[in-house]
Amino acid sequence: MKIKGFIKDVGGASRVTKARLAAFENASPASVKDDPIGNVAREWHPGKIDLTVTEIRTASPTSKTVRFARPDGGKLPPFYAGQFISLDFEIDGKIIQRPYSISSAPYEAREGNGFVEITVRRSKGDGFVADYVNDTLAVGTAVKGNMGLGQFYYEPLRDSRHIMALAGGVGITPFVSMAKEIAHGTMDADLTILYGSVASDDIILKDTLASLEGDRVHVVNVLSGDEPDWAGERGFLTAELIKKYAPDDASYFICGPQVMYRFLRGEIGKLGVPKRRIRFEVFGQAKDITAFDGYPVEKKDNTYTLTVVRGIHEDEIPAKATESLVVALERAGIRIETACRSGECGFCRTKVLKGDFFVCPESDGRRGADRDFGYVHACAAYPLSDMTIKIPIE
Amino acid sequence: MKFYKDHYDVIVIGGALAGLSSALMLADKGKDVLVLERHNLPGGIATSFVRGGIEIEAALHEMMSIGPEGNRLKVGKFLEDMGIHIDWLKVPEAYHASLPGLEVTLHPGFETFAREIDAEVPGSYDKVMKVLSLCHTVFDSVNELSIHPMSKVQMLLKHEAFVKTAGYSTQEVLDTFGLPQKVLDLLAPYWIYVGSGFKDLPFTIFSVLMADYIGYGSYIPRKFSHEMSLKMAERAEELGVQIEYRQQVEKILAKDGKVYGVRTARGDEIYADYVISAAYPNKVYTSMIEPISEVPEKALKMVNGRRLSLTAFSVIMILDKTAEELGIKDYSIFIGDTMDTDELYQDLAGLGPYRYLTCICHNLGNEEATPPGTCSFSITTLPRADGWKTVSADDYDRVKHEVAKQMIGDMSRYLGVDLLDHILEIVIETPMTVAHYTGMWNGCIYGYAHTMEDHIVARLQTAEAEKFFEGLEFAGAHQISGDGMGPAVTNGRKAAKNVLDDMKKKEAAK
Repeated sequence: MKIKGFIKDVGGASRVTKARLAAFENASPASVKDDPIGNVAREWHPGKIDLTVTEIRTASPTSKTVRFARPDGGKLPPFYAGQFISLDFEIDGKIIQRPYSISSAPYEAREGNGFVEITVRRSKGDGFVADYVNDTLAVGTAVKGNMGLGQFYYEPLRDSRHIMALAGGVGITPFVSMAKEIAHGTMDADLTILYGSVASDDIILKDTLASLEGDRVHVVNVLSGDEPDWAGERGFLTAELIKKYAPDDASYFICGPQVMYRFLRGEIGKLGVPKRRIRFEVFGQAKDITAFDGYPVEKKDNTYTLTVVRGIHEDEIPAKATESLVVALERAGIRIETACRSGECGFCRTKVLKGDFFVCPESDGRRGADRDFGYVHACAAYPLSDMTIKIPIE
Repeated sequence: MKFYKDHYDVIVIGGALAGLSSALMLADKGKDVLVLERHNLPGGIATSFVRGGIEIEAALHEMMSIGPEGNRLKVGKFLEDMGIHIDWLKVPEAYHASLPGLEVTLHPGFETFAREIDAEVPGSYDKVMKVLSLCHTVFDSVNELSIHPMSKVQMLLKHEAFVKTAGYSTQEVLDTFGLPQKVLDLLAPYWIYVGSGFKDLPFTIFSVLMADYIGYGSYIPRKFSHEMSLKMAERAEELGVQIEYRQQVEKILAKDGKVYGVRTARGDEIYADYVISAAYPNKVYTSMIEPISEVPEKALKMVNGRRLSLTAFSVIMILDKTAEELGIKDYSIFIGDTMDTDELYQDLAGLGPYRYLTCICHNLGNEEATPPGTCSFSITTLPRADGWKTVSADDYDRVKHEVAKQMIGDMSRYLGVDLLDHILEIVIETPMTVAHYTGMWNGCIYGYAHTMEDHIVARLQTAEAEKFFEGLEFAGAHQISGDGMGPAVTNGRKAAKNVLDDMKKKEAAK
């Protein structure tokens, strides 16, 4: 065979080898660390960053807004309005992580002295972190946070430009962030918020929301409690009420307590809204796992031994049948990275080496192959026997 | 608390396909191996994710070098030899090409492929077969020579076609066949995966790609590339490999030109006789070797003398209609307004609009890829890092949406359906996404470009001279076999083989 001529053809290998060596010889000997694409990735997602509480304000008689900033006052990572931050609090010597929707706006994080805020309601006795934030957390406290997480945000290529927000209780917070960003002119969407509360005193960030109302932001408060002086909407967020305020072809964004999700699935169903126009924020940690179909109630009072493998190290800790593996680990002071704590994000992906478990059916965000090989998202998995799990070394 | 052994035979940095292949091969030979992976799952970009309850492939379009059951090609065979059984699904066609004046679906198998081109350009069958047959001869030689090196004279006798085409670009060799432009256009679409225009792309690489993809077709795992990555990781653990996730290696410890361990971001110092790095040589030689003064100038000149290959930009959508309802007929569609690869290559240095796109509809290769009534459709371009290097964190979201919108618009016009009306879920993957999840240098998924100045034949010739540290090997797209998930496996095996050879040599010297 012949390409250009025998001599040239057979000399190909040495020709390209010489060319390569020459290219190296002529190259600069400088140490080029230039990775601007990696730098942008790290600016958006730096992982856990150090934060300090710089301000605490009352957001309603039962809730507080907490502002965090970098210790040096620097810019915070960009994020989308509606996303959450996963915070590490040190409570009684143990690191406890919680995700909170960010109630401040993205533009506020990117200015000089950038900040990020969460708004947390005091619990009715079942949320010790919520109570810690309301009662104990003080200005100056150092925490760590991983921010810009979650899928609950307006995506202009997918969503209608008109957002119909259905909020309940403290579920208003991601919409406050959106409303601020829209009012600031940095998010191009219209927002109608139907906000359900029990009483007018329960309305969180009432004044903030009122101040954001304008051409593009509308807020409709709906009270379910019996309040004689209330002139606004009453009852629950029913299909009828939603219809009254919703424009055509809106995208529905829903955030609130778990009971509200169940109720609204039914109400939205009545409206014939296409699936692509409905977005629920993640479910949250199941309040009562024994109430789910398939949970073996007879095991609910059991406590098992959980063997935790990290590298070549093993620990044995107790684990209650009604508490997720993550809770058992946190109680025992063993670090596991979590974010959404709703079984969706996979941060706490864990290998089960031995034992039986129950996965919350509302919160099974696992990959198919992961299910086949016994992986769980530890925040949504509950022990049903003694177990052995392998988790990353933190 | 002690999480690591005092010493390992080998530490592998990176638990993606290359690193896992190294680990598998070493463990199979009884070596004590530790894999440190920065993410919380294996695979790098060979992975999947779940959105709105639907599992979505992150990156794999098609796996090459798998081959049918009973007649596996090198990657398929290696996995089986290691005891890894993937539920492979054969991709039905080679590709659908939508190019100026051409709308053709081509299927794998040389005769089929040539016949289908002949139907479009009558009288071209023999010439196309000649090209493919030359590609196959070169492909066979590359496979054999990568296992059994031989003298130049022997090579000329036994591997004439390989030797005689080695010094030429794809353009130079294809020119000798006198192919009509339309035929050339139909032979070119897979070009996108190799990162150089035909004037600069070694014919050797084009041959390997064509022979493998067109000759044997391609495959995907039923449960996405995560099935492959996870099965490799699980098997490695069965063979005794310790895999630790969420462990970012920051430093490779070296003394007197020899590596002896690593230090992680957590602060663990771990010791081993060998380190295999999936991190790019650019990163290793500029910021990972400790002390950095150990890095010789030659190593820096080498990385600076090479051109980074492509990164990736993908818009992945789950649509609320089936492929049939949307008029999507092919698993993979290559669409461009020209097939001048050198011109297109220049285009990839910018931020769009990109003129050459690759679309994948997974449901047409795997009916169960998404829930009934929906389908997945991705639009990908493989840009160079150059354009994306100019995008700041504050501009990033705007730029990524502009580029994605343009690509969705292009494909909507092609399909005659406004895809924007059907999006259930959308994920936009950018070079920054790659950098975020894998740490790959400048988001480059494809290592160094195959060019006439960085030719695979030359890479093989000079490999020994490019070992700057005793005990340090590299496994990843940045190695000899280059880019893609199939070559990643081959690169990983090569690194393990180098380690095993060196161990034997040292054992013999004792």
